Amino acid sequence: MKFEVMRDSLLEGLSDVIKAVSSKTTIPILTGLKLEITNKGLYITGSDSDITIQTFIPVEKNGEQVISITEPGSIVLQARVFNEIVRKLPTNNVEIEVTNQFQTHIRSGKSEFNLIGLDASEYPMLPEIEEERQFFIPSDLLKSIIKETVFAVSTSESRPVLTGVNWQVKDGELHCIATDSHRLAKRKTAIKDLPEEEYSIVIPGKSLNELNKILEETSSEVAIVMTQQQVLFKTGNVLFYSRLLEGNYPDTSRLIPNESKTTILVNSKSLLQAIDRASLLAREERNNVVRFSTLGNGFIEVSSNSPEIGNVEEQIQAEEIDGEELKISFSAKYMMDALKAIDGQDVKILFTGAMRPFILKSVHDDSILQLILPVRTY
Amino acid sequence: MSGKHRIIFHLDMNSFYASVEQAHDPSLKGKAIAIAGNPKERRGILVTCSYEARAKGVYTTMSVWEAKRKCPELILLPPNFEIYRIASKAMFEILRSYTHLVEPVSIDEGYMDVTELDMNNDAIGFAKSIQDRILRELDLPSSIGIAPNKFLAKTASNIKKPMGITVLRKRQVNEILWPLPVIDMHGIGESTARKLESIGIKSIGDLANANPNLLKEKLGKNGVRLLNRANGIDNRAVDPESIYDTKSVGNSTTLPYDESNIEELEKVFVRLSKKVAARLDAKNLAGRSITIHIRDANWKNKTKSKTLTSRLYKEQEIYQLALELFNASWNGDPIRLLGVTVNNVYDKGESVEQLSIFNFEEHAKEEPILKLVEQLQGKFGEDSIKRGMKVKKKPSLESKTSFSKDFLDDHND
Repeated sequence: MKFEVMRDSLLEGLSDVIKAVSSKTTIPILTGLKLEITNKGLYITGSDSDITIQTFIPVEKNGEQVISITEPGSIVLQARVFNEIVRKLPTNNVEIEVTNQFQTHIRSGKSEFNLIGLDASEYPMLPEIEEERQFFIPSDLLKSIIKETVFAVSTSESRPVLTGVNWQVKDGELHCIATDSHRLAKRKTAIKDLPEEEYSIVIPGKSLNELNKILEETSSEVAIVMTQQQVLFKTGNVLFYSRLLEGNYPDTSRLIPNESKTTILVNSKSLLQAIDRASLLAREERNNVVRFSTLGNGFIEVSSNSPEIGNVEEQIQAEEIDGEELKISFSAKYMMDALKAIDGQDVKILFTGAMRPFILKSVHDDSILQLILPVRTY
Repeated sequence: MSGKHRIIFHLDMNSFYASVEQAHDPSLKGKAIAIAGNPKERRGILVTCSYEARAKGVYTTMSVWEAKRKCPELILLPPNFEIYRIASKAMFEILRSYTHLVEPVSIDEGYMDVTELDMNNDAIGFAKSIQDRILRELDLPSSIGIAPNKFLAKTASNIKKPMGITVLRKRQVNEILWPLPVIDMHGIGESTARKLESIGIKSIGDLANANPNLLKEKLGKNGVRLLNRANGIDNRAVDPESIYDTKSVGNSTTLPYDESNIEELEKVFVRLSKKVAARLDAKNLAGRSITIHIRDANWKNKTKSKTLTSRLYKEQEIYQLALELFNASWNGDPIRLLGVTVNNVYDKGESVEQLSIFNFEEHAKEEPILKLVEQLQGKFGEDSIKRGMKVKKKPSLESKTSFSKDFLDDHND
């Protein structure tokens, strides 16, 4: 194997792939990256066995030649070392040559590295995925879907399935749901040409966070293929595979109440700021719990009390308060996360009782729903 | 504290469990006896042993089989915590008949602040009268340390046993304590001793004269505290209430075999979690973090902890977290001992609980009554009506561990 490649292009490809490589892997060869040069271009693959990323650098980009091939072939190189080397090479021309016994020479300018490579045939194959039933989402929309849900996944392994986001395809819509059992984020998106079958998969939150870093803030389409064990995201030159989580995702539809006893319409920003202030005194002692009550005159009161620090009360004018009086306590953090995930000026909050979940929605659109379980005070 | 010099006693019962056994069964007197877990199940270290056994080279923490080899006539007894608790309670009652400033620190030792007592300027004679009374009324030997503070008193009571009375003055620190290795100092364990050695501190004298900044860097706040102690300085008051501040609730067990079968280990975690949950429940406590202790067949110890956002007191949750921590750190080695501890505990009565999608319905059932209480409070004031507190439960069989402070529940009766 022997080829030359522009350092800039190589670096760009590496920066995506390296995200999949973990130093903690139990499979030694996965500490490496697989480089495969064919007459089409260079494929680089990295994996931690949960996430696999492959980037492709074509021989020609925008009419400019970035790779010249002398001899096709493949090799596995230590990911961290190779990445560092490429970053620090002295010129933009990089020559990579593999001689006998996987000896790999990396030359640039007057510098030459000799790395001990590994046999590329030992490297795991990419998951096999049939690409018939793929559908497309613009990259920037996919990014916001991820951001609006993934924050709510569980960080505890006690229910592994909750560390992922449940993606359901049904009725021409994609439903994405995340919950750590204390709060829930749900996002509905209408998508053209969805597959007809219903799908329900659980994608690890970690995978989605990594995917979000790779995706560009543009409207270019990302192709998505779901299978029983894997999900594949394809962009221009990147393939992103993620293992799925096993286990039944809890049915959360019954949690979302159809009716409410108290409905409040309030400016999202002023509520967010008031909660943030109240949580200053709640953070230390009381699990970051704030109290929220309706006052008779169209005002809401947000308060918090820490016996050893002090207390805070703040009144906010609501746009509208309908229904029963209400006193409820909840985590300031969950409330702030939820408010940040909802666009728009005003937010609608629907309560059905002090010990029951309540929901937050944007006034204008139904696509995002945030649900929070209250805190019981004794 | 006033400017007046304090006089603190530290009373330490001598081989307490063994002495209680001998007091109960005089036929055991003068014989080598030891208290140990069930030796058949290899729960095999001596918890304590009588002075007669010590004379034969038997010591606490020795394994049962080794002790038997050294002293074949050794009489092994299973622990009987009930009679130890009764004896402990009686002993503290005697101390409290002199002053209310009695601070129990464990089942068999405590501090007394006798500064304000009229002792006719004869603290030693006064200590002797307490010691004699405990021997006469309870048939139990003890040692008393007399010093101007708790640290020195504790150190002093350890100097002469059994039936010792030792005075340790601050000015004697350099001649008595300083030549000793740091490990002999109360409050320094193996790991601290190792850290100290790494910065060239071997004796208590080295510690007393060490650079405070270096100690602080190496050991944090504790470094400064130890430096003061090594110089005989300790300003802690004798606090009769301190025992009621339970800070953690934990149980551990040595396994009958070195175990590497995960299913068996899971069963052990079930048992431990059940015990811890029952003890938390007995005291109406919940915790904020959990620690597991692992000792492998080579006596290597490991602890793993996790802090939570919601309160921890349910058996199932304790079990799950414990197992999660264990699985994250276990490499398959055979395990000798496992322990589960819930830390940072506090009274559930003043607490909050984050509801979850799996349990809110249970709580929602109580909504009508909560609403009623709220309305009444709104009308008649916050204190007009409160939800009934849990009826205080008697510590049950489940709340017994040899090293726990549960015995202190007796002080509330």
